[in-house]
Amino acid sequence: MFSLRGCGLCVAASLSKKRLPLARLIGDSAAPVAANFDVVVIGGGHAGTEAAAAAARCGSRTLLLTHRVDTIGQMSCNPSFGGIGKGHLMREVDALDGLCSRICDQSGVHYKVLNRRKGPAVWGLRAQIDRKLYKQNMQKEILNTPLLTVQEGAVEDLILTEPEPEHTGKCRVSGVVLAGGSTVHAESVVLTTGTFLRGVIVIGLETHPAGRLGDQPSIGLAQTLEKLGFVVGRLKTGTPPRIAKESVNFSILNKQTPDNPSIPFSFINETVWIKPEDQLPCYLTHTNPRVDEIVLENLHLNSHIKETTRGPRYCPSIESKVLRFPNRLHQVWLEPEGMDSDLIYPQGLSVTLPAELQEKMITCIKGLEKAKMIQPGYGVQYDYLDPRQITPSLETHLVQRLFFAGQINGTTGYEEAAAQGVIAGINASLRVKRKPPFVVSRTEGYIGVLIDDLTTLGTNEPYRMFTSRAEFRLSLRPDNADSRLTFRGYKEVGCVSQQRYERASWMKSSLEEGISVLKSIEFSSSKWKKLIPEASISIGKSLPLRALDVLKYEEVDMKLLAKAIPEPLKKYIECRELAERLKIEATYESVLFYQQQQINEVQQDEALQLPKDLDYLTLRDVSLSYEVREKLHFSRPETIGAASRIPGVTPAAIINLLRFVKTTQQRQMAMNALPKTDQSLCDTESLEERQL
Amino acid sequence: MMIENRGALYQSRRGVGGASCQDWKPPRQRGPRSCTRQGSGAPAPGSGATIFALSSGQGRCGIAVIRTSGPSSGHALRSLTAPRDLPPARSACLRLLSHPRSGEPLDHALVLWFPGPQSFTGEDCAEFHVHGGPAVVSGVLQALETEAQRRQALRQLDGELGHLCHGWAKTLTKALAHVEAYIDFGEDDNLEEGVLEQADSQVRELELALSAHLRDARRGQRLRSGAHVVVAGPPNAGKSSLVNLLSRKPVSIVSPEPGTTRDVLETPVDLAGFPALLSDTAGLREGVGPVEQEGVRRARERLEQADLILAVLDASDLASPSSCNFLDTVVVRPGAGSPRENSQRLLLVLNKSDLLPRGGPDPRPDLPPHLLLSCLTGEGLNGLLEALRKELAEVCGDPSTGPPLLTRVRHQHHLQGCLDALGHYKQTKDLALAAEALRLARGHLGRITGGGGTEEVLDIIFRDFCVGK
Repeated sequence: MFSLRGCGLCVAASLSKKRLPLARLIGDSAAPVAANFDVVVIGGGHAGTEAAAAAARCGSRTLLLTHRVDTIGQMSCNPSFGGIGKGHLMREVDALDGLCSRICDQSGVHYKVLNRRKGPAVWGLRAQIDRKLYKQNMQKEILNTPLLTVQEGAVEDLILTEPEPEHTGKCRVSGVVLAGGSTVHAESVVLTTGTFLRGVIVIGLETHPAGRLGDQPSIGLAQTLEKLGFVVGRLKTGTPPRIAKESVNFSILNKQTPDNPSIPFSFINETVWIKPEDQLPCYLTHTNPRVDEIVLENLHLNSHIKETTRGPRYCPSIESKVLRFPNRLHQVWLEPEGMDSDLIYPQGLSVTLPAELQEKMITCIKGLEKAKMIQPGYGVQYDYLDPRQITPSLETHLVQRLFFAGQINGTTGYEEAAAQGVIAGINASLRVKRKPPFVVSRTEGYIGVLIDDLTTLGTNEPYRMFTSRAEFRLSLRPDNADSRLTFRGYKEVGCVSQQRYERASWMKSSLEEGISVLKSIEFSSSKWKKLIPEASISIGKSLPLRALDVLKYEEVDMKLLAKAIPEPLKKYIECRELAERLKIEATYESVLFYQQQQINEVQQDEALQLPKDLDYLTLRDVSLSYEVREKLHFSRPETIGAASRIPGVTPAAIINLLRFVKTTQQRQMAMNALPKTDQSLCDTESLEERQL
Repeated sequence: MMIENRGALYQSRRGVGGASCQDWKPPRQRGPRSCTRQGSGAPAPGSGATIFALSSGQGRCGIAVIRTSGPSSGHALRSLTAPRDLPPARSACLRLLSHPRSGEPLDHALVLWFPGPQSFTGEDCAEFHVHGGPAVVSGVLQALETEAQRRQALRQLDGELGHLCHGWAKTLTKALAHVEAYIDFGEDDNLEEGVLEQADSQVRELELALSAHLRDARRGQRLRSGAHVVVAGPPNAGKSSLVNLLSRKPVSIVSPEPGTTRDVLETPVDLAGFPALLSDTAGLREGVGPVEQEGVRRARERLEQADLILAVLDASDLASPSSCNFLDTVVVRPGAGSPRENSQRLLLVLNKSDLLPRGGPDPRPDLPPHLLLSCLTGEGLNGLLEALRKELAEVCGDPSTGPPLLTRVRHQHHLQGCLDALGHYKQTKDLALAAEALRLARGHLGRITGGGGTEEVLDIIFRDFCVGK
């Protein structure tokens, strides 16, 4: 049997079998050894590290509990970060001063922006990452974060106490019980358990509990959650086999080289740690009919595929590809696992056949004829908790101050996990400080789209981010994540460093200034044609063109404009990012105006808050069908906007809720004499003028 | 994608079209002919649906009256005047109208409540007398238009029109899904060659189908709201007399003084069995006072919009400069040749035939085909009506044949919006922008057919392409 250590899809899958001494405290050495923390984060994966670091950045004394410190920052599946949609999430995590983007800028071995030709709104920042470096850099970061303590240990149970009367929820979490029986007191707890809840690894017909010897504590926690009444679902995912690098014949395969120059993930980095010429290539090969045959002949040996556990609609495994799209050649990307790694990760070849058959299948693929399989692919089946049981701040409805982030909420992917981690960490900290939650709306970021989708719609397949999920895709771009989130993070939460805030402020004012300068420069089209002969400006136009209009042309960039009109445009090309962002703003200028109107409409609905303590099942003043009551009761939408997105909640119900909210608001307004914030819809001004 | 307008729970007898300002008049005022046309496929009155519309004239006016009729009238009235209860029956009360969704104040209005059967339709009715600016009127109408109404319209969207719209929606969703797939998966996963090209050609076909349909739709629109018939001619040719003759009531002040009519006067009439909006215009002439000049400018503007021009000349004065000028510029447009542009139609009428010698020869055989008429004696009126009937049948389309005609302004509006958005799709090289155009187009169709959301798009992506890892 092959060792599964170090390749588990989750923290728990690769956790230690040993009982570790409890008091092995690492990290902020100045902090007193204590069993009292503001925020305790359970799990050191991509959600857990972001959550712990974010809570600490917000000023909370934070404890990160993990089975093994040396698995912190482990990339347990693919050796890459980012991509289309996922890259967007990383930029937003970075805008809130999260970790993964900065760590990726220090650990990549092949940086490439996807979708370069399709428009900057959908550029996908992506990089192959050196697993070892990432882990090292992440551990260094985590262990040097002020206010953050890291402790090894398995959590067995939650300590629950009486709920705070001013909030909903049947009880409140006040700490955790560790495997040895000791307790840690916590004001808030963030659970990022990955696939560990009843995780099972599947190869062929063999199944193994994911945590094996170390899994007792996790079962205790799973039982606690179930006893509390959380609705549990089951998902499956998988990972491909690993191949020995020296056994691959790269010379006959298509080579993909990285970008030159490399584009960093983080707003605060100008460059990445490694020069393009030192980076590693990727290679492309394809499956063939022989692969199909092996898969189809051996379906009876493949329990992961036979199982009824719902897989995603997309094709995660080679088996699903062969079954659903037969007689095609499927891509297999051969990706490096790191600078000095001997392994190759064949992306696209996720498989759960018995190990011998996996090797047989691999060796009939071009370039892999003599490939040596170092470790087989396998499937993982695990429990997740229906994410409609959490609020947009990621706190559970049932248990006060308990937050969930990552795969426990039904998502897949490092970036999705990291995004939730940041939000959970921030809100766990805000909750302790009795401050209002930090919620990102779907009009503000992919983080908002992700969390709103999860909390209002739930999911029955591992949820993965796509740009098609974002209604306001042209506004939520990788380039402007800082202007969307950094200021909020700095002012409302305090999770953003001064340096980042200043950089974002400088960028914002430079952009505004640049745009107004570009608007102020106007010439006739024939003059523009003379100034910039490269541009395909049609001379017939009678109206003068602004420089901003000329910048919209595909072939025109700020460099070209500044060459034609050095004063005052010269200074805007000194910073590459600024020049590029000006170009992007120009490209989308006309559409963004309309998109902003749509955003305002949605935000009006989001501004209509539903009281958190509504008991929909017994609510008397509102006429609602029982079916609708149940749906509202389960999802507990926070706003009218969110309620309207719940399938099955009828328009009539929304109207009744509206009336209810309105009377509630009016009552509040009368009491507080607050100014009305959502001036809305059409012709407000003209109406006011006409008031009798 | 977008949150639908959710006002009062409220339905329209003719579905969404009921939201349109021109769509509804109290049933008793409607001629039986148009009722049959309008009512096809819709439930009979009293079947439980509620309708509403602006029942006073359009445009800026002192007070506009919006009426509703049907069982939900009370609900609508209550929701617009919340938290107050229904006013006493049949007595005018001042109420603050607020948007049921946003709570935004719309207007201080007089409202009346007529519980059935003691109402002008026999059903529950309500009246809102609002300040007549377009902003207020459209605000109140929008507040009345609801999601429930949209759904009602969807249910009614059956038959050939529904079939067509759903077909277009399906094609468009697929094209959108393929473009989205190309954006989200194009590089890492192997999408088949030609995904974009296929989407492009689908969009082109859809554009053709939509624009052909909208041309038909305009004919249906005319039938419902009336063809624009403009009476034009040089000063004192007898235009106003003709209008008065056709509408059988004095709309225009007639006098032998040239330039009496200084603005455009409109009157809805039943012309040879077709609903028409008859416009009287100022005589076209140059070099007059500023007021009349403005009238002339408006007359020319109205001519541009006309479906049918009734060109009136003084049969006894055909050689005068104003007559010749009119013949040259309006009747026979230089360069335009015939048939006229924009399928605009024209009938040339030589008025004051009573002034011609009896039984004499045609005064100007070189003129284009024309009719002789005497507004004074009524001679030639039957011939004119017959000619009008033929022309209007062309303009309005024959309701008994041809593809289904769109009679709902709202549908037409969204189909046009869809078509415009598809136009943007072609123009852009940035694929994110192109996809945005398709999303916008699908959003417009979605207002008619529903659907087209993210999950539907993802379903198609994962059905049609082998993507994911």
